Amino acid sequence: MATSVKWYETDDIISLSAIVKRFGGAQALCGASLSVKRGTVHGLVGQNGAGKSTLIKLLAGLHEADEGEIEIDGIAYTGLSPQKVEHLGIHFIHQDRLLVPTFTVGEALFLGREPRIAGTPFLDRKLMRQKSADILDRYFGLRLPNSALIDELTAAEKQIVQITRALLDNPKVLVFDEPTATLVRREAELLFKLIRRLRDEGITILYISHYLSEIVDLCDTVTVLRNGRDVATLPVRETSAKEIGALMVNRDIAELYPKPKIAQGSPFLELEGLGLANRYADVSLTLHRGEVLGLTGLVGSGAKELLRTLFGLETATSGAVVVEGDTVFPASPAAAAAKRLALVPEDRRRDGVALDLSVTENTTLASLDHFSRAGLLDRGAERRKASELIERLQIKTDSVGALVRTLSGGNQQKVAIAKWLSRRSEIYLLDEPSVGVDIAAKVEIYTLIGELAQRGAGIIVLSSDIDELLGITDRVLVFFRGRIIREFISTKTRPDQVLAELTGANETLRHVG
Amino acid sequence: MSVDAAYLSPSLPASIGNEADATPAPRGALGRRLAVLALRQGSLAVFIGVLVYFSIAAPFFLSVDNIGNVLGQSAIAGVLAIGLTVVIIAGGSNVVTGGIDLSLASNMGLSAAVYASLVQAGQGDAVAIICALGTGLLIGAVNAAAITLAGIVPLLATLAVMNVVAGLELVLTLNTVIPASTEFLATVSATGPFGIPVLAYLLLGFTALVAAVVQYTPLGLRLYAVGEFPEAARAAGLRVKLFISGAFLASGLCGGLAGILSVSYLSGSTTGAGDMLLPVVVTALLGTVFSRRLVPTIGGTLLATLFVSFLINGFQLLNISSTLVSGVQGLLILLVVSATTLLQRKGNQ
Amino acid sequence: MAQSSFKAPSFTVSVRGLARYALVAVFVVVFAIFSAIAPAFLSGANLLSVLVNNFALLAIVAIAMTFAVAAGGIDLSVGTAIDFASFAFVSLVLAGQPIPLAILGGLVGASLVGLFNAILISGVGISPFLATLGTLFVGRSAQQLLTNGGNPVYLPPSSVPEAFRFLGHGGIAGIPVPFVVAFGVIAGAYLILSHTRFGRVVLATGIQASVVRYSGIALSRYTAATYVLVSAIAAVAGLIVTSTVTVYIPSSGNAFLLNAIGATFIGTTLDPHGRPNIPGTVLGVLLLSIVANGLLLSGLNFYWQQVATGLLIFSVLAIGFANRKAASRA
Repeated sequence: MATSVKWYETDDIISLSAIVKRFGGAQALCGASLSVKRGTVHGLVGQNGAGKSTLIKLLAGLHEADEGEIEIDGIAYTGLSPQKVEHLGIHFIHQDRLLVPTFTVGEALFLGREPRIAGTPFLDRKLMRQKSADILDRYFGLRLPNSALIDELTAAEKQIVQITRALLDNPKVLVFDEPTATLVRREAELLFKLIRRLRDEGITILYISHYLSEIVDLCDTVTVLRNGRDVATLPVRETSAKEIGALMVNRDIAELYPKPKIAQGSPFLELEGLGLANRYADVSLTLHRGEVLGLTGLVGSGAKELLRTLFGLETATSGAVVVEGDTVFPASPAAAAAKRLALVPEDRRRDGVALDLSVTENTTLASLDHFSRAGLLDRGAERRKASELIERLQIKTDSVGALVRTLSGGNQQKVAIAKWLSRRSEIYLLDEPSVGVDIAAKVEIYTLIGELAQRGAGIIVLSSDIDELLGITDRVLVFFRGRIIREFISTKTRPDQVLAELTGANETLRHVG
Repeated sequence: MSVDAAYLSPSLPASIGNEADATPAPRGALGRRLAVLALRQGSLAVFIGVLVYFSIAAPFFLSVDNIGNVLGQSAIAGVLAIGLTVVIIAGGSNVVTGGIDLSLASNMGLSAAVYASLVQAGQGDAVAIICALGTGLLIGAVNAAAITLAGIVPLLATLAVMNVVAGLELVLTLNTVIPASTEFLATVSATGPFGIPVLAYLLLGFTALVAAVVQYTPLGLRLYAVGEFPEAARAAGLRVKLFISGAFLASGLCGGLAGILSVSYLSGSTTGAGDMLLPVVVTALLGTVFSRRLVPTIGGTLLATLFVSFLINGFQLLNISSTLVSGVQGLLILLVVSATTLLQRKGNQ
Repeated sequence: MAQSSFKAPSFTVSVRGLARYALVAVFVVVFAIFSAIAPAFLSGANLLSVLVNNFALLAIVAIAMTFAVAAGGIDLSVGTAIDFASFAFVSLVLAGQPIPLAILGGLVGASLVGLFNAILISGVGISPFLATLGTLFVGRSAQQLLTNGGNPVYLPPSSVPEAFRFLGHGGIAGIPVPFVVAFGVIAGAYLILSHTRFGRVVLATGIQASVVRYSGIALSRYTAATYVLVSAIAAVAGLIVTSTVTVYIPSSGNAFLLNAIGATFIGTTLDPHGRPNIPGTVLGVLLLSIVANGLLLSGLNFYWQQVATGLLIFSVLAIGFANRKAASRA
């Protein structure tokens, strides 16, 4: 085994230094370093796009660094594969839990290293059952019915099963990637207790989270990433959620956000006490013509579900949606689109653009009525419209007939927006519009948002990039656990103020202090 | 501490969070469990109810002779359906991109033709058996290569292979019946202990053997993992393509075995093996309803095979047109699939 | 679950371009070989007979299948639709109804099959493969119930009107009616799939259904319509085959199923992006038809036909998929 020979012991069990990683033209990491001391809980924070997930994927052996060095236990490695990394004792607790849904807990735990009844080729189900029940009870105080299937477990229980799977390999390092995103708070607390205990037993923990309060509570050390670099590594005892938040955001990039001054028009979209069971409740807001309204909130805060409701993908359980005085009930995306609503979804490559349709076909997909007479398509008109929008949005593509798959992320996003421009939609719901988009295209998208507002459209931007939100919106509403807890005027707000609300750091201060 | 304080604070705007806390997820799981139970018990009840009805309406139905005969008659379809089940387990339940082997029935036809031709040519049973099984295995190997190496989706790959195999059978037999009778074949088609056909014993024995491997060994468990969640299987260090290839080889072998059984049962090779394909597909898919997890299982497939055979038998005894059987099969598959689809939809909400 | 694949566009296109040539090249080679070894192959009379006997019916069924595949599904019950059309047609003619009404009846009968599929697929949400497989089985029983256990329904020569005979055996300006109809169906299908809003939505659904839904299009309505259309097109084949042989044989339509699927997927290799398309399907059917005919003429054992057909489908698919795989790996 790999642990039998150690050339020398170092203090750092993981050391990534000066890592550079480019994807096509976009620079995801430009000299990021991360050193994790043995036996500590190390937090890793950063805004979306700061380079966290790229860094973790490099460590997991899923990507290869363009430059820089990865050392594990003091030995430098190149060409890491997921198997190799696991062999070295580093295990990942992924957000999407890699457990077979129809397996029992015992089967899922022991898949790939199943115990056999001695002297036979048969599975020792009894042993699997006992052993898993034993481990789960001893470590986690978790008692599940013998026959429980993975499918029937809560998110937290699934996570525990995944952690247990990793523990069976006697790992040296466990990497948690946003582990609490799908947990309710009692489950999260349980997880924290568990993590501390694992650390006390000598396992090193790398903990990635958006919840700064968690980081402060749980971690010994924290590394803050910003724009593909590590900007600070601090002992948590000597810092605070506010300070970490301040490090995460940029302060010198006002020029990134070209926000024109626009006189707000009449109320356009009004929500009156809108609610969706178990997701959000009592959401009332007004969006005016010419206004750019920002929404933000962590996963599960309800902000994303609100956008989905407005576009008819979820059905509200209470309240009303009013468009220019006309009460509407978006029961389907088709109904919502008919009311001039447009959604630019976060999962662009799945929902936003059809990768294997051409730029033209994508551009006109939501507005085929405009290009057909008696059902017959006018392909010339389609191409003309596509060319016009390619020009207007500066979409970089070989031709109007090129597949959208061949475009960069930013240009794909412009196509996803162009689709609605072609339909002449007027209420734009933009869900994380700049994720996976390079800087230049970001600025172009922001400019476009400003233009749309100037022409009298109403725009709601949901983003977890606070700088972006404050830069391009008029107001920002913060969602926390299903409700709007705060409204900020964008020009009068600092990013760390928003971040504090959104991560619950303020809650901590308010109630403890 | 601070987090705990935040979480416990009563003044948090967190009634939603509390609701989420108070609504334990298992409630939905329980509902689903009950629905699955109802579906499974319901189908078992239908199965038993039909048997009971037949035995009352046609007393001969419940006799050992009749049951033995039905079991014997099910042997060929049963072996094929078991082969298909292995492929569905390893390929996942999405029939288009996942586990399907359309070449199984024609595989049986060609293997039977190979066997019968060799016997006609004066070869012994041993050679014929080896060549028939070899034929099946070779077909499985071609499927496996087409799917894992060339990357053709199983539906199309096995469709093309099916065409080739069915054509080869025609070439070999010139679309005629090749009679074959040997001592071995006679033994297989004879009546065994307790007046029950040897074929019935073979079916039960074969089912037990495959079930032992698939349901009770690590190999079987891994096969399920590969089919249902390849990423999880890969994460557990399993070589997914190897398992998929193995499943197609196994199914090819089942085709060869079914070929031998059919030569014995029909005293030679006959034409029209391809007609068995779709009924076998339906049977294998029906079997999923007998499993608690609504996944294909070897036992479930056997039950479904027997159910269909008893249905045909009962209809015959009652002088009802056995043509209704296909309608019943069709309706059953639609009911089963609708129920599971709606269940899953509900589960996702 | 998240898979990131970065693709080199230019390479993708050129590789698919090669696959595209492969189908045309195979076609030309096969054509040349048969012309060389069987002189009768190239004769006008023979080629016409290929078009009428082998090509016309399969082309119509394969085009029906192309719509299902274009929408990202499959229809295993095209044969059932053919049968239902044929049954309704024959029954109405026997009942002394005028031919136009009988034709309409046939189309409606087949559309019921499509409607049944539509409800299962777009209403209940069953996968097209399973839904249409169920329909196939239910349809088989239904036909046997309708025909006292599967007896063919013959049209006695006395009750066959002239208009009926015209459909199966007549000609327009010397061109046989079945071929004219097939040509009409091909042209219409091409128009629908490539030049209408409906066709665009169908193709987009097959490529990325969620984007269609997120574009504010009533996805389930289009899917339902697609399966009804598939059955209605298949019905045309049922009407022609019935008027040619003047008999309805229960569950005989299935004979077309596998070749129709084969032709459709062979055809996808013709499109630069691997999409199902009408010209490709037609070329696929043509290829299968001339192989069947050429083998027959070349005096080779009749039964080698199926082997050759299978090998042909297999190799075209292998080329197509291997290239697609290479392209997606690049």
